[in-house]
Amino acid sequence: MKIAVRVNLHSVELEARAYETLLTALRGAGFRSVRLTCGIGVCGACTVLIDGEPISSCLVLAPAASGADITTTESLPDDDPVGVAFQEVSAFQCGYCTPGFVLTTRALLSENPNPSDDEIRHALAGNLCRCGSYTKIAEAVRLAAESMRG
Amino acid sequence: MTLDPRITGRIEYGQDQRMDGMLHARILRSPHAHANVLSINTSGVPSGVVTLTRDDVADLEPLYGPMVKDQPIVARDRVLHVGDAVAAVAARTLREAEEALELIEVEYAELPGVFDPVEAADGAAPRLHEGIEFPADLRPDGHNVCHRFRLKSGLGNDGFAAADVVIQDSFAIAGAAHVPMEPHATLAYWEGGRLHLITGTQTPFNVRRDMAALFRIPEEMIRVVVAPMGGSFGAKTFMRLEPITAALARKARRPVRAVLSRAEEFITVNRHPAQFRMRLGANRDGTFVAKSVDAWWDTGAYADCGPSVCTKGGYAAVGPYRIPHVTVDSRCVYTNMPPAGAFRGYAATQGVWASERMTDLMAERLGIDPLELRLRNLLREGDRFATGEVMHDVRFAECLRSAADAVEWGEGRKNKGLAVMLKGMQTPSRTGVALEIDAGGHVVLRSATTDMGQRPGTAQRNLASRALGLSPELITVGPNDTDLVPFDTRTTSSRSTFMMSNAIREAAHDLRQKIAERFEVAPEDLVLSDEGVGVAGSPDLIRPFADLAGLRGDGTFVTPGGLDPDTGQGIASSHWHQAAASAEVSVDPQTGVTTITRLHTAVYAGNVVDRAGAELQNEGSTIFGIGTALFEGIVFEGGQVTNGNLSDYEIPSMLDVPEFTYDLLEGGEHSHGLGEMAVPVVPAAIGNAVAAAGHPVRNLPMSAESVLGAQ
Repeated sequence: MKIAVRVNLHSVELEARAYETLLTALRGAGFRSVRLTCGIGVCGACTVLIDGEPISSCLVLAPAASGADITTTESLPDDDPVGVAFQEVSAFQCGYCTPGFVLTTRALLSENPNPSDDEIRHALAGNLCRCGSYTKIAEAVRLAAESMRG
Repeated sequence: MTLDPRITGRIEYGQDQRMDGMLHARILRSPHAHANVLSINTSGVPSGVVTLTRDDVADLEPLYGPMVKDQPIVARDRVLHVGDAVAAVAARTLREAEEALELIEVEYAELPGVFDPVEAADGAAPRLHEGIEFPADLRPDGHNVCHRFRLKSGLGNDGFAAADVVIQDSFAIAGAAHVPMEPHATLAYWEGGRLHLITGTQTPFNVRRDMAALFRIPEEMIRVVVAPMGGSFGAKTFMRLEPITAALARKARRPVRAVLSRAEEFITVNRHPAQFRMRLGANRDGTFVAKSVDAWWDTGAYADCGPSVCTKGGYAAVGPYRIPHVTVDSRCVYTNMPPAGAFRGYAATQGVWASERMTDLMAERLGIDPLELRLRNLLREGDRFATGEVMHDVRFAECLRSAADAVEWGEGRKNKGLAVMLKGMQTPSRTGVALEIDAGGHVVLRSATTDMGQRPGTAQRNLASRALGLSPELITVGPNDTDLVPFDTRTTSSRSTFMMSNAIREAAHDLRQKIAERFEVAPEDLVLSDEGVGVAGSPDLIRPFADLAGLRGDGTFVTPGGLDPDTGQGIASSHWHQAAASAEVSVDPQTGVTTITRLHTAVYAGNVVDRAGAELQNEGSTIFGIGTALFEGIVFEGGQVTNGNLSDYEIPSMLDVPEFTYDLLEGGEHSHGLGEMAVPVVPAAIGNAVAAAGHPVRNLPMSAESVLGAQ
């Protein structure tokens, strides 16, 4: 079936079977920043924003996303404050989990422009980084928050 | 500034590689730990789907393996572990491939299995392999021991007679999962008889060599292109998906891509479960006299690099100490468990756990401060290690003091623990590298170092930049393709920065030589700058690099060495990874839950070439160590993984990681790798802290139950 959504502000028609996940449909449409790791909503590698909310796309059936406004990192502009902060701090190693962290950070900072260290840890606990870049990721979130507050 | 493709997600890993007409592979796996395969019937599979069974590979070498040829591409007469590949399919879509798997009928006759390395080493256990040819440097023993590494120094076990106090104890370390976020992924296609592999591997030249032997074609007929990996941690070493994917592509006459599922990751390769029995003898003043290490490493159904693991873990369990009389008997044993292989902290994690818990047990027995006991016995500059080799550039005491200071050891030892270790680097080994000027005026670095997130490009550009006296921006890293890069043993054992730093220096020297020949001047009269090449005394005559396109400097660095498998004497490592850790914990007396209140690591870094990368590597190693210490362990039931998903097998999240500190100790002449130095010492330091809190743990991981039960 065809599922009409908006991805990164562009209208996209996803092709998927009724039982397939949004993750599968997005990857099939070429959005490869959205990645499968655990497949059970634990690791956050498949995080996308749906109407601004971070969602594990491996847990969403593709048809349920019909009409949704989806954000992935592919269209992140070079001056995106979260992206810039991750780059300045070197808050990544292999990079596989990074898009998920970037999107979760964006959602956190849009709700809470000045999060405490504890709030950062709790907000990002649903994103796993096996390379273990957590210290620098938390630093990047603080830096992004600072630059967005201006 | 342009955002890094790792941030935008535009980087393409192995799993993202694709070609026109590409088929998707799935593998049919054994549900049994040990069984005869009576029949395989693929007649129900639709004709458009390509199937692969033992009949399709009968013209190839029957077995492969990096150290012992013992693994078939797909099962022949028997399956040896749950998850052993029995057949494979390739179809136009993944869904079609998955459906086709359901249509293959396999008839098995179950056999008794063995799931413990000590039992498997016993003559009564079922024999796993028949008619295997072992290379001359291995010492198979009995019917399931594929290698036995023995070391004897001084009087060996007779040395215990001279000790005032002798203690003995046993330790066990569970298997663990690498959990690279990106699973194993390989794309294979054949073109004019030549095999092309685009694959996430740490070992492109091992893959090329072993695939050539398996497919009975010359190495030149194989090209391995290494895709960036979404993590590896040892999982993507040696051959994994390459044989089955290439065999499918050969039969299909089309490109085939295989990507493992998360569940398959847990039955493809894991960390060796290990068991130790150890004795340590000392004088009353704390001087170590004798040590014996008996170790059993469960390598699972196939040896993989297990013989090397049992060797390196065998001597790592001796520890960085002056001990006149040492005996090591370390056995790599086949069982009906999934294969075990390289894992970040390679064998040192297991050996250091047993060794450093033992050091604290001796301190307790003698009533000596564990720091004092270690400092009294640590190897010093010029000492001989148990292997007979002389130790140079020794920093153990510095590392240990940094660790002790960080937890204010002098202020009281309650709930605190220390650990110190040595870990070897792959020896002997060889590294080649080239620096080549391209038409755009850049210097292209041709290096086989694979990228799994450890920023090798940044480190090696910096090394080349220093060696040539040019900005890093002028250096570009060429594609990682065996057709284009000089031979390098592999990207393992934290060897690349050390080996490449030496090879790049040679290559830079050679390039200067070549440029000097072109200019017909002496190399020392050349002046290299970002603007181009000039000659001393003629400041106006600068030729841009683009004019020198095609000039290339080559560099090679080789470390000789190796150990005698019968005596353990020789050169274990051309240089040593040296590290220490300290921890302070609180243990809930009701639940046994351990909370880390302070954690510090100190690692010898030599010359740091990429500051952020060095920090990331050590932070990541520390976090890996926390997982191994407290909760990471694969649970098996009759050879079946019972927690093979990321809900039941947990890896550290931000909430599991306390604030921690570390020192990268700099100095010396060399650049060192530091990708895995904190991994072995962190669990041991936490374990010693948990013991100091009244729970003398002996096994990893330290689950709440095991902490409460520790006597």
